[in-house]
Amino acid sequence: MDAYSFSLTTFAPNGKLLQIEHALAAVSNGSTSVGIKAANGVVIATEKKAGSSLIEVSTLEYVVKVCDTIGMVYSGMGPDFRVLVNAARKSAQKYRRIYMEDPPVRILVKELASIMQEFTQSGGVRPFGVSLLLAGVDERGPSLYQVDPSGSYFPWKATAIGKNMINAKTFLEKRFNGDMELEDAVHTAILTLKEGFEGQMTETSIDVGIIGGLGVEGGAKPTFQCLSPAEIKDYLSNIV
Amino acid sequence: MSIMEYNGSAVVAMVGKNCVAIAADKRLGQRALTVDMNFQKVFPITDRTAEERIIEPKTFSNLVSHMLYERRFGPYFVEPVIAGLDKDNKPFVGTASDNLFGMCESLWEPDLEPEELFETISQALLNAVDRDAMSGWGAVVHVITKDGVITRDLKGRMD
Amino acid sequence: MDFAQFQQAPVSVPTEHHSHGNRWDPYVDNGGTSLAIAGEDFVVVASDTRQSNGYSINSRYSPKAFELSNGSVLATTGYHADALKLVEHIEQRAQLYFHKHDRAMNVSAMAQMLSGILYSKRFFPYYVFPILSGLDAKGKGAVYTYDPVGNMERVNYQAYGSASALVQPFLDSQVGFKNQRNADPSRLLERPQAVKLAIDAFTGATERDIHTGDWLDLFIIDQDGIHQTKRELKHD
Repeated sequence: MDAYSFSLTTFAPNGKLLQIEHALAAVSNGSTSVGIKAANGVVIATEKKAGSSLIEVSTLEYVVKVCDTIGMVYSGMGPDFRVLVNAARKSAQKYRRIYMEDPPVRILVKELASIMQEFTQSGGVRPFGVSLLLAGVDERGPSLYQVDPSGSYFPWKATAIGKNMINAKTFLEKRFNGDMELEDAVHTAILTLKEGFEGQMTETSIDVGIIGGLGVEGGAKPTFQCLSPAEIKDYLSNIV
Repeated sequence: MSIMEYNGSAVVAMVGKNCVAIAADKRLGQRALTVDMNFQKVFPITDRTAEERIIEPKTFSNLVSHMLYERRFGPYFVEPVIAGLDKDNKPFVGTASDNLFGMCESLWEPDLEPEELFETISQALLNAVDRDAMSGWGAVVHVITKDGVITRDLKGRMD
Repeated sequence: MDFAQFQQAPVSVPTEHHSHGNRWDPYVDNGGTSLAIAGEDFVVVASDTRQSNGYSINSRYSPKAFELSNGSVLATTGYHADALKLVEHIEQRAQLYFHKHDRAMNVSAMAQMLSGILYSKRFFPYYVFPILSGLDAKGKGAVYTYDPVGNMERVNYQAYGSASALVQPFLDSQVGFKNQRNADPSRLLERPQAVKLAIDAFTGATERDIHTGDWLDLFIIDQDGIHQTKRELKHD
């Protein structure tokens, strides 16, 4: 049989899949992203790193909306992320077409995880060089998930991925508490990013997405939104 | 489509207590095309105030029945309804007849007074023609009592 | 065995449905009538139980309204065998949903899914006119109606089946308050009225439609679940 029909992700004798380890290394090289689940919503945020001051930063998309109730961000390789964004949006719309409602976060996470898993076992492909943070709200309340290149996924109260994840997680362990409101969570997320931030943090050098206003009887449907530079600027001015 | 549905229509009659009612929609069509929206379908046969001998509904009914059967092999394409005092039942015809049957079977009850009978026949006819594309465009109701005939035009959906 | 025999064997295979003029038809209309009336916090669903084929009665008690696992009721008319298969199809998908989501489907989710199931058989449809009833996410009575290929509409009341021409105008008048001055057409009925009208509609329909009769399966869906009763209709 053709050699290329075999998976490139083959086990090393020690039981590890080196391609996945390498993919995780790509994630660790990527810019830091954080996510915090608050009592009444979720925030995800990331560093917006432009390689050159000549880049038009306003066009860069790091935090994206998947459907009304779910958004996501990544650390790792941008092009790989966009493939997953397309898959996630398509999956959410397919779900909507079948059931007339947005997918529960866990369902979308499993869908993405299974796509990422497929790329660790199929022939002629490589794993995705990204880890994802998904923020969403469904009938069970707010939730925050991480999905890794292997296809593993984890629900978190708060977490960080990417270059500075170790320090960021230590910081979050100290700062996080379960009663935190969304406003506090946004501040904490920005502060966490600031910990390992190189250079001056401005409204154009980070990307933030929030979803909140949930669960109140008769209240408006919670909607994920990416914060505008003006909104981020407000948060930053309160921090300094 | 049957030739009986060429013009489309709904005609209904009911008995009440010492009264009868007869009603019809106003549409005249040629298949799906509406030709007239104010077409008369109920015609007086006898005037109850006339002095001379008047034909009893029952007799007239027998006459019509006979006239129709005479044309057994080249029929008139009509389904007539006859209402009069006294003795009648409650027949209904036209393209909306299934709808009318359903309405009358559930709305009609014995011994309705003239005003009640008017309400009943109006509800029956209007709601029946609204579910039939071939009938409607308003209706006319006649309630015949011993004192005379009450005629009322009904506004209906014009679609 | 002589090999030559096989060479002389007929080329075409005679089939049941190739004779001209009497083409085999996979569909039968089994008659009967179903209706549903939504209230503020309940739904009344009613179906007669006669199953017929032309002038013959196959069964006097063959229910065509079904309780589903998520607490909704699917009332059907059309081809009974297809209705049974459709219920199996829905329940299979509902079970998958249950495993994925760890909870039963909402009525609205099931409504949209049913539309998809019906359309997925666009070119060999289930010959069924389904009415799906239950309580929506806010606890309000919900009635969804379909045609056999999945056109869907949420309504406050509906009658389908062999006596639909008789019953629907009656519901228009008495449930929808159509052609009544100063009446609010969106007003929903109280439970006793809705039940009474459902029964009246069937006594009337049974009188004039030969395919409707025998028994009436009556369901009331509310917060406490589904209450089912059986009443007698005319057997002639």
